[in-house]
Amino acid sequence: MPKKIDGSKITILSSEQFEGIKKCLAELYAKTKATAVLFADLAGQLIGERGDTSKINTTVLAALAAADFSATAEMAKLVGEEARFKLLFHEGEKNNVYLTNVGEQYFLIIIFDSNVALGMVRVYTKKAVEALTKLISEGGSGKSIGDMIDDDFGDLLANELDSSFKD
Amino acid sequence: MYINWALQQINLKIVYYGPGVSGKTTNLLYIHSKVAPELKGELVSLQTQEDRTIFFDFLQLEVGKIKGKKPKFNLYTVPGQVYYAYSRKVILNGVDGVVFVADSQFDRLEANLETLNDLENNLKQDGHKLDEFPWVIQYNKRDLPNVAPIPYLQLKLNKYNVPYFEAVANKGTGVFETLKAVINLVMASVKKKL
Repeated sequence: MPKKIDGSKITILSSEQFEGIKKCLAELYAKTKATAVLFADLAGQLIGERGDTSKINTTVLAALAAADFSATAEMAKLVGEEARFKLLFHEGEKNNVYLTNVGEQYFLIIIFDSNVALGMVRVYTKKAVEALTKLISEGGSGKSIGDMIDDDFGDLLANELDSSFKD
Repeated sequence: MYINWALQQINLKIVYYGPGVSGKTTNLLYIHSKVAPELKGELVSLQTQEDRTIFFDFLQLEVGKIKGKKPKFNLYTVPGQVYYAYSRKVILNGVDGVVFVADSQFDRLEANLETLNDLENNLKQDGHKLDEFPWVIQYNKRDLPNVAPIPYLQLKLNKYNVPYFEAVANKGTGVFETLKAVINLVMASVKKKL
């Protein structure tokens, strides 16, 4: 689960978790024959992707999809649903987008064309969700933020900001 | 905040909050226009036909590697109008730092206060307290004739004494100072809690 510091949702993925996520996405991609599969968190952060994403701005897609998913979660509450809607499906002329939540804070995006059956996407995605949920909840190798952000990181970042962000 | 050990990534989410037409989108437009191409992504704006933000704006920035790590900053704005309250709540999910863009004009004080209140409530629902959360205030539109003096705005809006910056966002004045300050504040806040 993501570690919380004073209410902040901080996602720390260990190398093992990330490898596990990549493996899950690769399997899902292969089995569904999707165009692409992406894994992201509800803050809009893209975590992993697999497939033909050369023509897709996946960073932006993750941000848009997270907002989409979160907005429908609010809609669900407004209409009296206690739990969030578990999946979203956007049907296009040539491409479809299937979104499904993974635990409380993550979700999968599967992009597939009309040659792929929705039923197949649903079946394999369900298995992927189970595997990913387990991976995320198991935690990693005990790394903390302190390992990543040491004493002079803040000062070095401030200098880098000064040189990169200016009029 | 998102940390990926394998890729040595650190990503922060910064949200620009404030009442309608206070200059949130203008901040991002200016940032996008000035940052070097290799350090910025596409600026996405979901707007109405009247160019008002209807859901959010999004811009990802990065800086060079720091000790092998790649920090990136996901900047969002929220729609400011009162009736977009639920949309603002959605965009705050996972926020690490906030820039409150206040409209300095006298007749916008009420709108500033209402939105500030809205921010405090939304953060509270997510387990944050505004007096402990990393945020800054930008007093925008300082070039307009009917603006309140800074001490007055401070008294009304900055009860937690957070860093503040004067700005004229459509000319770029104060835009980068504000952004750098909130990022530094987020990092300092994380370090303090370690």
